[in-house]
Amino acid sequence: MDDKTNALREHVKGIFSNLELVLGWEPGYDPLHTRPFYVRTESDIDRLTANCLSVHNLTRYLAKSMNAVDPAADGRKIGVCVKGCDSRSLVALIQEKFVSRDRVYVIGLPCRGTLDARRIRALVPDPARIRSVNAEGDELVVETDQGISRFALDRAIARKCLQCRYPNPVIHDVLIGDPVTPRLKIDAENPSVAAVEALSLEDRLLFWENQLDRCIRCFACRNACPLCVCQNHCIMETRMPKWLTQYRNMNEKFMFHMIHALHLAGRCTECGECERVCPVGIPVALIKEKINAIIYEMLDYESGIDPEAVPPLLTFSPKETGI
Amino acid sequence: MSGKIYVAHDALSGLLDDLSKKFRVWIPQMMDQASGHIAFGVYAPGKKPELTRRSRLSPKKILFPSTDTLFKFTHVKDPKDPVRYTIDLKESFDNGPTLVFGARPCDTRGFQTFDQVFLKGQYKDVYYERRRQNTLFATLVCQDSDTACFCSSVGSGPADMTGSDMAVIPIEGGYVIEGLTDAGRKLVEASGSAPSPEQAAEAEQIKQKTAAMKVGEDDLTGYADDLTRRFTDMDFWREQVSPCITCGICTWVCPTCYCFSITDEASGMSGERMRSWDSCMFYLYTLEARGHNPRPTKMERYRNRVGHKFSYFPKKYDGMVSCCGCGRCIRTCPVSIDIRKVVKELKETADDRA
Repeated sequence: MDDKTNALREHVKGIFSNLELVLGWEPGYDPLHTRPFYVRTESDIDRLTANCLSVHNLTRYLAKSMNAVDPAADGRKIGVCVKGCDSRSLVALIQEKFVSRDRVYVIGLPCRGTLDARRIRALVPDPARIRSVNAEGDELVVETDQGISRFALDRAIARKCLQCRYPNPVIHDVLIGDPVTPRLKIDAENPSVAAVEALSLEDRLLFWENQLDRCIRCFACRNACPLCVCQNHCIMETRMPKWLTQYRNMNEKFMFHMIHALHLAGRCTECGECERVCPVGIPVALIKEKINAIIYEMLDYESGIDPEAVPPLLTFSPKETGI
Repeated sequence: MSGKIYVAHDALSGLLDDLSKKFRVWIPQMMDQASGHIAFGVYAPGKKPELTRRSRLSPKKILFPSTDTLFKFTHVKDPKDPVRYTIDLKESFDNGPTLVFGARPCDTRGFQTFDQVFLKGQYKDVYYERRRQNTLFATLVCQDSDTACFCSSVGSGPADMTGSDMAVIPIEGGYVIEGLTDAGRKLVEASGSAPSPEQAAEAEQIKQKTAAMKVGEDDLTGYADDLTRRFTDMDFWREQVSPCITCGICTWVCPTCYCFSITDEASGMSGERMRSWDSCMFYLYTLEARGHNPRPTKMERYRNRVGHKFSYFPKKYDGMVSCCGCGRCIRTCPVSIDIRKVVKELKETADDRA
């Protein structure tokens, strides 16, 4: 996302008196990070930041935050900043009635891609001492103690962004900035899924075994997901019934990731948060992307586009075609 | 002999090959090139230690595995009266001679927290104790801190060799390895040849230069009472913790988080009693059998995490902060919560902070 900080602050200043709070981003602990930010007072607005490091999907807090709804707010709306991908999660939450459309004021931010801090660290010679990162056109400019380096932006943005089909928010009350051109057509094949599918069955199994073997069961992928809504009733943690053991072996890890993915079948909006937050770098979103491809092919359905639509696995139609 | 050896870069594999005949040697290694994931793994010939970049996961699991079998049990039926049975218990220990090569000072120092809790109290944890006694640490003098590092803020520093048996000092062309404890010196002297006087001098200079470095701006010790005063200030905790998604990353990557859960994992007539890592960031951690949860939201849970490290622990153990300043919780936090900032802001006014 190009830097929209000033335009966003100006807009929020104008409407803040009508809102309970605004979910946005603020600068993080170093030049490679921002962090989610709850704008609760006028004076907070000047901390708002919106740029290529605004990676977090803030709709996650709408369904799962303990703090978002204040009964004293007289029905004032909650403002939420969304990129294209985030807006689809919001649509899915509205479909499933976790969020009421009337309750939110949607600030849409067209996005050309968010940066992947790990990819940037791998690019520069002195990753421990990055002073600033800026997207300028199609270039990423990184300043470290050793000087300034320039890279093609595509080498530094997140995997999900390289295959983005919805860079512009699909719902919004206001759009900050001009719409951008999607990288892929809506019905284009997912290149990451295709790359794994091209492997032989044995190699594919090996690929996933190698990836999932690193899982430390921290559950960040689950907790970051805006649509993983079981919260404290997740099968990974309930002891009664006890679905999984405490063993950190492949069976248990595989089971967790498959359950996670299957619960998101036809619901996952490919915001990529599960993959971004993984501390051990497992491409966990790939599993969900594959399932989404199946849903699209068999049921002609794409998640998080139409707030009125009913996700196919949340309904039953005797006349269902395609399966 | 001087208790020091010189190992050239291209001789390091040979040294590790030799050591791995006597020890289970753990080194930081690249686990996944695509995501740059570095963690500690057991050395085998051909594996390369990753000594120039920090590991994302700490070496905690070497002395405190994420799952650890405490004992094995089998129910043995009485053939004459099958309703009656006895339980056959078998000890389970896995603690051969172990060497951790290339951990950073913060990594090694993390075990000081474990020592207080698992070794120095009324009860000793025999599983930890056996591993601890059988493990030597060859710790890297650390010269490349990043924006999340803050070891000097918690009473340590990039050349702090507390808990280490050997210091690994990077110099031009290789490393000088210096024995610090009797066991460390003995091993070093048996493992190679002494450095030239120039190499020894260079190593000494690097050690001193690194020891003088200050990693982390503020002193984060001495906040024990500030936390107590902030304890019921829920506006403060709401402000600090709003972005938290209550995953367990911070506790999983932390070299000093030692909480665990104990479960019986059985199938049929036999099974294991297992200890596995638990995380205070999880709802189930404090959920009581009756259904009450004294830490129902992330605010209480995060407050406990900060309080434990910077207030309750130092109050109990002579002011020692149970944080080694490695910065892993900051680096891996999905929403970039910065524990340094939280601790600093425990002091209520600008005057307090001055």
